[in-house]
Amino acid sequence: MIAFFKDPVLLAAALATSLPFLSMATILIFTRHNQRLSASISIGAVTTSLLCALYLLVTLHSAGAPVQYEFPWLLADQLLIPFGYLLDPLSLLMLTIVAAVSFLVQVYSVGYMSGDPGYSRYYAFQSLFAWAMMSMVISPSMIQLFIFWELVGLASYLLIGFYYEKWSASQAGKKAFVMTRLGDIGFFLGLIILLLGFGNLSILKMNEAAQAHAISPHLLTLSALLIFGGVMGKSAQFPLLTWLPDAMEGPTPVSALLHSATMVAAGVYMFSRIFPFYSGSPEAMTMALAIGTITMLLSSTMAMATYDLKQVWAYSTVSQLGFMVMALAAGGYFAGVFHLTTHAGFKALLFLCSGIFIHEYHTNDFREIGRQGGRNLVIPMICMTIGALALSGIFPFSGFFSKEAVLGVLAMQPNRIWLLAGLLGALMTAYYSFRLIFFMLFPKGGIEAHGGRNGASPGHGGHEEEHHGAIFWCMAVPVMILAAITVVLGFSQSPLEHFLVGKAATGAHTLAVEGGGSHAATEGHSPVHYMVLISAVSMAVGGIAWAWLEFGRKKATQEGFLRWLPKIEQLFARRWYLDDFLRKFLDTAIYSGVTSLFTRNDRRIIDGGIDGICQFTVASGRLFSFLQSGMLQYNLLVMIGAVALVVLYFLM
Amino acid sequence: MKWMTFGPEIYTLLAALWFLLLSLGARPDAKREHLTSLLLAAVGVMVSVAAIKAEGHLFVNAYRVDFFSQVFKVMLSLGLFLIVCICGNLTDIRERNRHDFYILLFVCTLAMMLLVSGNHLLTIYVSLELSSYSLYVLVALRRDQNFGLEAGIKYFLVGIFASGVMIFGLALLYATTGATTLDDLVKVLPPIINQPAVIIGLLFTVSGFFFKLAVFPFHIWAPDIYQGSMNQVAAYIATASKVAAIAVLARVIASAGEGSTYLVHVLGVLSIISMTVGNLAAIAQQDLKRLLAYSTIAHAGYVLIGILSLNAAGYAGAVYYAMAVLVMKFTVFLVIVEVADDGRNVQIEQLAGLHRRSPILALALMVSLFSLAGIPPTMGFTGKFLLFVAAMGRGYFTLVLIAMINVVVSLYYYLLVIKAAYLLEPKEALPPLNVSPFIKLLSGVLAAVMIAAGLFPYYLIELADAAAKALM
Repeated sequence: MIAFFKDPVLLAAALATSLPFLSMATILIFTRHNQRLSASISIGAVTTSLLCALYLLVTLHSAGAPVQYEFPWLLADQLLIPFGYLLDPLSLLMLTIVAAVSFLVQVYSVGYMSGDPGYSRYYAFQSLFAWAMMSMVISPSMIQLFIFWELVGLASYLLIGFYYEKWSASQAGKKAFVMTRLGDIGFFLGLIILLLGFGNLSILKMNEAAQAHAISPHLLTLSALLIFGGVMGKSAQFPLLTWLPDAMEGPTPVSALLHSATMVAAGVYMFSRIFPFYSGSPEAMTMALAIGTITMLLSSTMAMATYDLKQVWAYSTVSQLGFMVMALAAGGYFAGVFHLTTHAGFKALLFLCSGIFIHEYHTNDFREIGRQGGRNLVIPMICMTIGALALSGIFPFSGFFSKEAVLGVLAMQPNRIWLLAGLLGALMTAYYSFRLIFFMLFPKGGIEAHGGRNGASPGHGGHEEEHHGAIFWCMAVPVMILAAITVVLGFSQSPLEHFLVGKAATGAHTLAVEGGGSHAATEGHSPVHYMVLISAVSMAVGGIAWAWLEFGRKKATQEGFLRWLPKIEQLFARRWYLDDFLRKFLDTAIYSGVTSLFTRNDRRIIDGGIDGICQFTVASGRLFSFLQSGMLQYNLLVMIGAVALVVLYFLM
Repeated sequence: MKWMTFGPEIYTLLAALWFLLLSLGARPDAKREHLTSLLLAAVGVMVSVAAIKAEGHLFVNAYRVDFFSQVFKVMLSLGLFLIVCICGNLTDIRERNRHDFYILLFVCTLAMMLLVSGNHLLTIYVSLELSSYSLYVLVALRRDQNFGLEAGIKYFLVGIFASGVMIFGLALLYATTGATTLDDLVKVLPPIINQPAVIIGLLFTVSGFFFKLAVFPFHIWAPDIYQGSMNQVAAYIATASKVAAIAVLARVIASAGEGSTYLVHVLGVLSIISMTVGNLAAIAQQDLKRLLAYSTIAHAGYVLIGILSLNAAGYAGAVYYAMAVLVMKFTVFLVIVEVADDGRNVQIEQLAGLHRRSPILALALMVSLFSLAGIPPTMGFTGKFLLFVAAMGRGYFTLVLIAMINVVVSLYYYLLVIKAAYLLEPKEALPPLNVSPFIKLLSGVLAAVMIAAGLFPYYLIELADAAAKALM
């Protein structure tokens, strides 16, 4: 206990992870009826967590080896499950991201959620999420990671279904929970197989062993593939991707925090956490690459066909997650993590901006928002445009740098198809982002415009102030901070890379060098990379230009090329019929097949059997107590009989 | 001074004599008598605790004082103290009999103390009879003659039958071994244990203890006697009397050393039948005391599992279980006594609404029933765990499996009682129970002890281990 206080690092780690839990408990038990107090407790806790995370980041910035604390938690025979903290560059970076975004979102929510009857509950769940996510991030073992992984899933479920009185929201919550659980079954099986075959689930040990080829390749591949199931569920990879767009039923800040910036990135985080482990299995890496690519392309097309503001960003989240998985699977450890970092920033920004529009105009349809004069909200509109530029990968916004890094890694792959897919994805991303932006900036039919066509021009500052006041600024300030981060973050690429790769566990380091992608991408020595750079930028610019042609310019029809291809538009809008397929599969194979069989088994055999046993037990009880009549003679006779039997047994 | 080792017995005898004196002269005064007995019993607990390290042989080896016996003497005096605690309102007994009640209670405890220390077979027999006769009279003391007298006579008849079997067993043992003390039997018995006459002699001898413990086939008295006797006496029979029976049974069986498969088989079969009969018959009961009688029979079966393991772990389990039975059963009876303020028998449905009438009693009842059912983290769980582990160590898997099934069955009727106390609403609104602060405190302490002993059983397990070592 004393050691606990003597070691400030340990104390900070413990504080950062446990305070949100305490705040959740306090809010749920004591302060549920006092909204203001609940919010303050929650924000206070997350602020402390953020400070602790920053302190850890600064203190351990130049620590050579990962710092690990472990306490025995579960002991069963030879199996010891420790509980503790693993502090290395990756976990510190992620911890800071989570704490920072949580903090900003909670501050933002003060405005966004004001007046909601479930205000305290909302903050309790936010704290639950912060606790689970931060504890997950600094887990030293896969078991602990898995436990908090599931808790994060729970927080997600609760927050998606926050408006539980709304049918679609509670359905979406269930869908998210079930689909991610489906992936987690694979994850858990993989862990069990690994535990049985390898005997240790410590992250550092797993990575070392995989690097030293101490795990048999078959075991490695099998468990890596199964564990990837968890990534597929949590990070919404194909074919488990349709829950994420539905998850937008939750409050918008929740979408920003959980379903774009942090929670869904948990899958990617876990992938990079045991990156050396994965790189021990080329088969698993190839499969991950394929799945990431499919996900990215599919969801990009889906985003082109929807008119729901949040849905667009949701699909784009899925596609960017696919992009990160591609980067990691292609061997680009740094590129993947870097994209994760920048994406957390600009995607939270996009969602929070959308939140302001939704809060203002009470609609999710961006055509409607545009028509009602969305561009008059100058600050959010500028910030949203910055986010969209970052998302499309335009210099100097952060997305540009990370996208280049990822594409650079993909370019190192012998097979050019991955690079081409990546470029195609970049094109579509720019297209759908600016389709949305142009719809909002230049609505067809128009609004009463006060100034020029450029909504980003200053001069409308007075408009929002008379409308909103404190609530608006509560939301606008976090947005502006995020926008600033998005502008700046890209330039921190080299220090970040130095921090992550240069000082990471040796395994990760050598690998990143072997993969070579990230270095090559930043240094950009080879001609291939100039080519990649040029084509990526031209793709992004091309996408924007395409969107401009169709939606932006004055004579634009604002219909999009998909109008001419109704079949395809239908395909995209219905999410490639994935949901229909799943529905049909559930109805035919699961419900009318397996489920009904099991139900029958449950009703007839198990229930019937148990009922039978119970009735038999009770009946025999009646019989025994009936035999035990008050008649002494009979009783003594039984005694004599029993004694005689015992004697007979020995004489035989 | 060797007599100091005889301290608890002398003290208890003196206490009994004090009440004898009172009965000769003093005018009956319920409050004074209760306080006196409380004080005497409390001092008795202290005396027993003080004598816990005593060791030695007394009366030409007829009497053996060791850690095993001393631990049980502490339990017995504690049992007596607890019983006296709930004797504050003796409505079910005639005023002129009240002194006799206390005399018999103390004499019976004395007899049991002698029983757990007995070394000579006749010492054991005589102290067993002394305790039994005290109980026969105690049962018959109930004011309601139809109930009390009938129960007393039934108890008496079954008792003398069992003691007849026991005497026969003692004769057989003496005839085959020539030994009259347990110390000698330990030396002589193991080599010839497989002879039918020897093993029948041993089994007949322990029949007397089976009667006390209510093991099949000597269990028949239990339901009628629990139902027929007054609540306090039933509590005494269910706690202190069982503790003494476990002790002496373990002591005598331990003299068989490694034992023989026959012995184990017979004990195993008796254990299984006891558990099964007890648990099944308990399901159909409406009267709470009858239900507890059947549960006692089942618990006797569990204890036998430990004893038939014939090793230190098994005996230690039995010792621990004796402590557990003492606390658990007493707590339930405490609730019965408090609910039945006029001394009537309590039906299960009469517990309805108890959680509102007296939350602390309902809580104590729930904890003790969970403990009886063996749900962690309670004392009863640890006890069953130790017993089952000991039997598994000897490879008696089938026996443990059957016992486990029985535990599940028992959960059913215990939960029925808890359901009545917590979920059922009484037909007409009943006033809150008038429970004295002392009883409230006592039930709180008992509930806490049961949970604490389940969470941190190490100290008690060590105590039980040490006691069992003295036995071997």
